[in-house]
Amino acid sequence: MEKKIGCYICTGCGIGDALDVKALGNIATKEQKIPVVKNHEFLCGTEGIAMIRKDLTDEGVNALVIAGCSHRVKNEEFRLGIAQMDRVDLRDKCLWVLDVPEGDDTAEEDRQMMAEDYIRIGCVKVKKMNDPNPYEASTPFSKVVLVVGGGIAGLTAALEVARTGYQAILVEKGETLGGQVAKMHKVSPARAPYNKLEENPLPMLLAEVKGNKNIRIMNNTVVQKTVGAPGLFDVTLNHNGTAAVERVGSIIVATGFQAYDPGKLDKKLGYGSSPDVITSMEFEEMAKAGKIVRKSDGKPAKRVAFSLCAGQRDTSHLEYCSGACCVYSLKQALYVIENHPDASAYLIYQEVRTPGQMEDFYRKVQNEGGIFIKGDVNKVTSGSSGLTLEVNDKLLRQGVTMEVDLLVLATGMETTMDTTDPNSASPVGKQVDELPGSILNLQYRQGPGLPSLKNNFPDSHFICFPYETRRTGIYVAGPARRPMGIAATCTDAAGAALKAIQVVESVARGAAVHPRAGDLSFPSFREEGCTQCKRCTEECPFGAINEDEKGNPLFNPTRCRRCGTCMGACPQKIISFANYSVDMIGSMLKEMEIPEADDEKPRILVFACENDAIPALDMVGRSHAGALSPYIRIIPLRCMGSMSLVWIADAMASGYDGVLLMGCRHGTDYQCHNVRGSALAEIRLSKVSETLDRLQLESSRVKMVEVNIMDAETLPQVINGFVAEISALDPNPYKGF
Amino acid sequence: MTYDLTFAKEVYENSEEGHWIKMCMQCGVCAGSCPMGFLGAWTHSPRQLFQMVRAGLRDEVLSSTDMWMCTSCYNCIVRCPRNLPITHIIHGLARYASVQGKADPKQSTHHFAKDIFWENIVATGRVGEAALTMKLYFKDGIGEGIKQGLEMKDSALGMLKAKRLKPLPFRGKIKGYPGFKAMLKKAFELENQKEGKA
Amino acid sequence: MADGQAAGQTILVVGGGISGLTTAVEAAEVGYNVLLVEKSPHFGGRVAQHTKYFPKLCSPTCGLEINYQRIKNNPRIRLMTLAEVEEITGSAGAYTARIRQNPRFVNQKCTACGDCAKACQTEVDNPYNFGMNKIKAIRHDHFMAYPSHYYMDADFAASAEAKKLVEVCPVGAIEPDMKATVTEEKVSSVVWATGWKPYDAEKVLPYGFGRIANVTTNMRFERMADKFGPTGGKLVRPSDGQEAKNIAFIQCAGSRDHNYLPFCSRICCLASMKQATYVREKNPDAKVTIYYIDLRAMDRYEGFQKMVEADSGVQWIKSKPARIDEDPKTGNPVVVGENTLTGVRYEEPYDLVVLATGMEPNSATSAKVPMADARYDEYGFVVSGGGLFSSGCSSQPNDVSGSVQSSTASALRAIQTAVNAKG
Repeated sequence: MEKKIGCYICTGCGIGDALDVKALGNIATKEQKIPVVKNHEFLCGTEGIAMIRKDLTDEGVNALVIAGCSHRVKNEEFRLGIAQMDRVDLRDKCLWVLDVPEGDDTAEEDRQMMAEDYIRIGCVKVKKMNDPNPYEASTPFSKVVLVVGGGIAGLTAALEVARTGYQAILVEKGETLGGQVAKMHKVSPARAPYNKLEENPLPMLLAEVKGNKNIRIMNNTVVQKTVGAPGLFDVTLNHNGTAAVERVGSIIVATGFQAYDPGKLDKKLGYGSSPDVITSMEFEEMAKAGKIVRKSDGKPAKRVAFSLCAGQRDTSHLEYCSGACCVYSLKQALYVIENHPDASAYLIYQEVRTPGQMEDFYRKVQNEGGIFIKGDVNKVTSGSSGLTLEVNDKLLRQGVTMEVDLLVLATGMETTMDTTDPNSASPVGKQVDELPGSILNLQYRQGPGLPSLKNNFPDSHFICFPYETRRTGIYVAGPARRPMGIAATCTDAAGAALKAIQVVESVARGAAVHPRAGDLSFPSFREEGCTQCKRCTEECPFGAINEDEKGNPLFNPTRCRRCGTCMGACPQKIISFANYSVDMIGSMLKEMEIPEADDEKPRILVFACENDAIPALDMVGRSHAGALSPYIRIIPLRCMGSMSLVWIADAMASGYDGVLLMGCRHGTDYQCHNVRGSALAEIRLSKVSETLDRLQLESSRVKMVEVNIMDAETLPQVINGFVAEISALDPNPYKGF
Repeated sequence: MTYDLTFAKEVYENSEEGHWIKMCMQCGVCAGSCPMGFLGAWTHSPRQLFQMVRAGLRDEVLSSTDMWMCTSCYNCIVRCPRNLPITHIIHGLARYASVQGKADPKQSTHHFAKDIFWENIVATGRVGEAALTMKLYFKDGIGEGIKQGLEMKDSALGMLKAKRLKPLPFRGKIKGYPGFKAMLKKAFELENQKEGKA
Repeated sequence: MADGQAAGQTILVVGGGISGLTTAVEAAEVGYNVLLVEKSPHFGGRVAQHTKYFPKLCSPTCGLEINYQRIKNNPRIRLMTLAEVEEITGSAGAYTARIRQNPRFVNQKCTACGDCAKACQTEVDNPYNFGMNKIKAIRHDHFMAYPSHYYMDADFAASAEAKKLVEVCPVGAIEPDMKATVTEEKVSSVVWATGWKPYDAEKVLPYGFGRIANVTTNMRFERMADKFGPTGGKLVRPSDGQEAKNIAFIQCAGSRDHNYLPFCSRICCLASMKQATYVREKNPDAKVTIYYIDLRAMDRYEGFQKMVEADSGVQWIKSKPARIDEDPKTGNPVVVGENTLTGVRYEEPYDLVVLATGMEPNSATSAKVPMADARYDEYGFVVSGGGLFSSGCSSQPNDVSGSVQSSTASALRAIQTAVNAKG
C-alpha cells in the first residue's frame, strides 16, 4: 500500500498566535510534498481527532505527522492505530522554552525557523518509516518455561508457572528436590502474628509440584548448554549422562545460594579449631535431626552462642549483608530455648536487622530469654567444659567471656550464578558444548553467564525493575539474584514466573519486553555491507547478537530490546529498524535549514535520549526553569547507544556548528535503561576527534553531557552554555556546501 | 566477667517486674529521660543495669546505689519503646537488693526508706514530719545535722508559715491503728511466704 | 491463553503508586486487562514525592517515566484517577467493584497550558509539599505529574472564582459543576496497593514536632531537597529560612515503638543515610548526626551504608534520644539522650532535626479493603486471600525494590485467579 502522509498542525495552546501556521503548512505541502495538510485550533479535542479519523478513512491517509505538543502527552487521544506516526513538538520544546519578547522580530523569526525545522524533520521521519512487521521465526515459538534449580525458589517458580496454565520443566542437578530448605527444621514466621516458628513448607510444596500435571520434574539433570533466544531456546539437558534437547520459551534460574566457605573465616571465630564451632546450616541440620548436641562429645548443647555477620559486611569476606541471617539466627535461638528449659542462647550481633513485622519475632525471642550482645567474638578456646568465647561487649563497654557448648556462625549467602563481566573489553566468544560450573552455558557471543555488576549477582535495574537481567527471557529468582530469606524467595519466584510468562507471550506477539515493551520493530541487517568488525556483537547490552564463523552478526530478534545500540555501533550503517535507522536520523538532520555564516545564527544539533533527557526538556518549559537558545535543534534518540558517529560527521558536513549529546548517567550507578547505551556512546565519541580532525574542525564542537530526568533547572545553563562556547568559535566552514 | 544467666533468672523470678528486663533492646531512651542522670546521681543508667543483670553481674547490680536514686517521675516508663515498666523494675531491684542484704545501709535513700521513714510511720500510722526531718538531718552526726538544719531553715520557716509543716510530733495513733498493725503483719507474712521464709 | 479474555477477567488494581503501577503494567504486558484506580489526581504515589532513591541516588521520576510510557503504549490498561473503590462483593474470579469517580472539575480536554493557574487568585496549602508552601487552587501537583491534567478541590470548585476561570480556559476544560459518578465493574481479582502514609510525627510528643519549629520529618525534608520543592532545594530551618548546617536525623521516630508503630518501617535508616548525602552534597561544610538503635541497611544496601560511613562529616550515635528541647534564644532544637556505646549523656543543639518517621499502612486507616472477608494483620497490613492480593507497602513495610518484587508476584497471582475463573 502506498504511503499517504497527513500532516496536522494544531494551532491551540498559543501555537497559532505565536507561529505563522500558514508558513508551517507550506513547508509541509510545498517543500515536503505532504498530500494532506490541515490545521485545527484544538487538534486533541473531539473535533480535531474526528477530522484526522475522517482522513484516515476517506482520504486514505495512512501515516501521520501530528504537530502540536510533546509526544509524552495526549497519548490516548492520538492512539489512532497508525504505526507510522510522529509527534512534532511545537509547544513544549519550542514555544515554551523560547524567550520571545513582544515585538522582538528577530526572536520571533528564530522561533518560526525552529518550528519550521521541526515540521521538516517530522515529515522526513515519517517518510523514512515503515510499518514494523512482528518477528516470526521459521520454527514455532515455545511457551514452556524452564526452571533451573529444585530448591524452594525453583519449586515455587515452577508451581506458579503451572498454576497459570503454562508448562514448566523443573531441572534439578541433584538426586532430590528441596535444596537448602530441605535441611531446615522449621522456618521463621512469614505471616501474622509473626512470632511463631512455622513448619517447613517444603513437604506440602513438593506434594503440590509432584501432583501438578503441568510440571515435568527432571532430577539428576544439568543444563549442558543453551542455544537460541526467548521463545526459541534449545536447551540441552543432560540427565544421568544422556543428553536431550528441549525447546523452551523462557528460563528461570533458581539455583539458590551457597553458604560462604567457613574455612575462609577469620581464625578468631574458631571454625576448625573445635568441632563445636559450626555454621548455621550445620546447626539447622542438627536441629532437624532433633540432636542439638556438642559435636565433640555428644552431650546436650544447652548453652549456644550465635555469632552474626560471620564473614559478612566485611570487605575481606562478603562485603554485603545477607539480609536473612539475623532472622534465622533468632529462629535457631528459639530451637535452643525450646529444647531445654534452662538453656542459654546468646546472640552476638553488630546490628539486629529484623525489618518490618520481624520486629515482633525479635521481641518474641527476647521474651523467651535470648540474650543479645552487641560485640564481636574475638577469641574462641575449647576446654573440658566447652568453648570459651571472648567478646567485647560494646554496651557493657568491657571484654566479657562466655562458656558455651556450641558456637554457631551465621555465615552469609553467595550466589550460585556464573556470571560474565559486562565491562570486559573483549567478551568471551568461545563456546563449548559443556562447561561445568556454568548454570546455563549460554551459547552467546558475549559469554556463557549472565552479566554481573557486583558480587556475581546478575546485573539489573535493581530498584525499579529488579527482574530484568541483561539476557532477555532469562530471569533469576531467589538468593541467586540477591540475598534473601524464604518468604522473600517465594514472592520472588512468583515475580520471576510472571516475567517468564510475559516474555513468551510477548514473543508470540512479536513484541519487545521492557523497556520498549510492545515495540514490534527489530533490527534488520544488510549482510553484503558487513565488514565483520564485530562491534554490534560486542556492544549489544543484552548479548542479542551472535556471530558466525566468519564474524558476521547473527541476530536473535527475540533477545532484542530494540535500543538500537547495534545500529549506533555499526560503522557501515547496515543495521536498521523499520521505524528507526541511521538514514532516518541522518536525513532529518540534513533536512533542517542551516543559515549562512553571516546570518550569525549558529545551529546546534542536540541528540537527546528519549527516556530521560526528552522528559527533562519537556519539563524546562513547564517549570519555567529558563529559556533555551533558539539555535538548538533537538532530535530524540531511542537511547544514546543508538547514536551513530555518521550523524556527527553528517552534522558537521551539513554546517551545524556544534553537536550536544544528552544521555543518561553511566557507571556503577548507571541510569541508562539499556544499561550500556550512554556508556557506549561516550566511548564512541572519544573517537570522534578523528572525524573532526579530518574535517579540520575543533573537537570541542561535539560534547556529551549526562542528563538526569529532573535536571530541567540546570538544562538551560547546560545548553546555553554550550551554545555560547560554540558561538565563540568561528562558524562551521562547511555551511552552504 | 563471664556471662551467666543465673542472676538474670533470679531477677526475672524474684524481683518485682524483673522479668521485663529481658525485653530491653538497649536503646537508651530511659537513660536520656531520667532527670537524675543529668545530675550525675547515678553511674549506670537503667538500661545499663538491665544489661548487667543479663550479663550476670550480681554483686555490681545489687550493691549499686543507682536504683536508689529513682524519683518515680515515670518519664522512662512513658517513653520506653518496649513497654518496660522501668520505674517499677528499678524499685523492684532496689528492694531485692535490700532483701538480699546487698544494699549499702549507709546509702541515703536506702537508709531513709528502710529505717527512718519506716520506723516513723509504723510507730503511729502517720508520718511525724518534724521527727522524720530531724532524724534525716542528724543521721550522719550532730555536726552534719545542725549544718543541714541551718541550710534548710528558710524553707522550714516558710512551710511553717504556710501551715505545710507541723512543728509538733503527731500524738496518739491513727484511727484503727490495730487494723493497720494487722495489715502490716499480714503483709510480712505474705512477703516471707513468697521469699520462702515462712 | 492470554488472548480472547472476557470482560469479567479484568484485574482491578487499587492504588497507583509504584506498586500499583508495576502490577498494572506487568499484568497488562502478559495480555490481561487491567483497571488501575487511584484516589488522588495523579499517579506516582509516595515515590513521586521523593527527590532521590537510595542507594543509586537517582530520581524516582526516571523509573516512573518508563512505567508511564509502558502504560501509554498499552491499551489494555484503563486508568482512573480521583476514584475510590467503595465496595467489592462477590468471590474470587467474579467480583463486582463499585467505584466512585470523584470530580476533577477539569475535563480530558485540558492541555496543561497553565492559563487557568495564572489567572487563579486563590492559593491553598500545597498538600504535595505537606503544606510547606502555597499553590494555586487550580493546579497539577508537579511538572512531571501524570496525567498532567489540572484539577481543583471541591470547595474551591464551588466558589465564584472557579466559575470565572471557566472563561479563562482556551479549550473549555474547566467544569466546576462536574459531579461524582458511580460505576460498577466486573473484575476477577483485586490487587490492593494503597501504600503508606508517614506516621503522624505530632504523636511522638517527646520529639516536639509541631511544637518546635526546627523539628521536621523525613518526608518534609525530602520535599525540601527537591529543586522544584517548597524551598527550591534549599535545606533550611523552618523558623527563619536560614540554611541548616548542622542537622540531626533521629531514627525510629515512631517505629519499633510500643507507643506508636511496634514494627520496623525498614526504609528509614537508608532514607536518613540518603538524606545525609543531600546535606553533604549541598554544603561540604555541613555536619550530619544520625541517632539510631540499629542500622538496618539490609543485604546489598550495606554498600550504601559503607559509602555514607566513609564520609567524615557524618557522625553516628547509637542512641534513641529521649527528647528534644528548644533553645528559646536560637530556636535550635536540643537533642537529649544517652550515647549507649559510651554511656555519656548528651544535650546537643542542632540547626534542624529530621525525624525518621515510619510507614503507616493506609489500609489501616483511610484505605481499608471494602470487602466483607478482607483480612489484616494486627498493624493493619492486608493479608492476601481469595482473589485479593496485597502488594508493596500494603503487605509489609517495603522499599521500592521490594514493592516491585511483591507487585510483580501479585500480578501473577491476580492472573491465576483470572485464568481459573475462565476455567
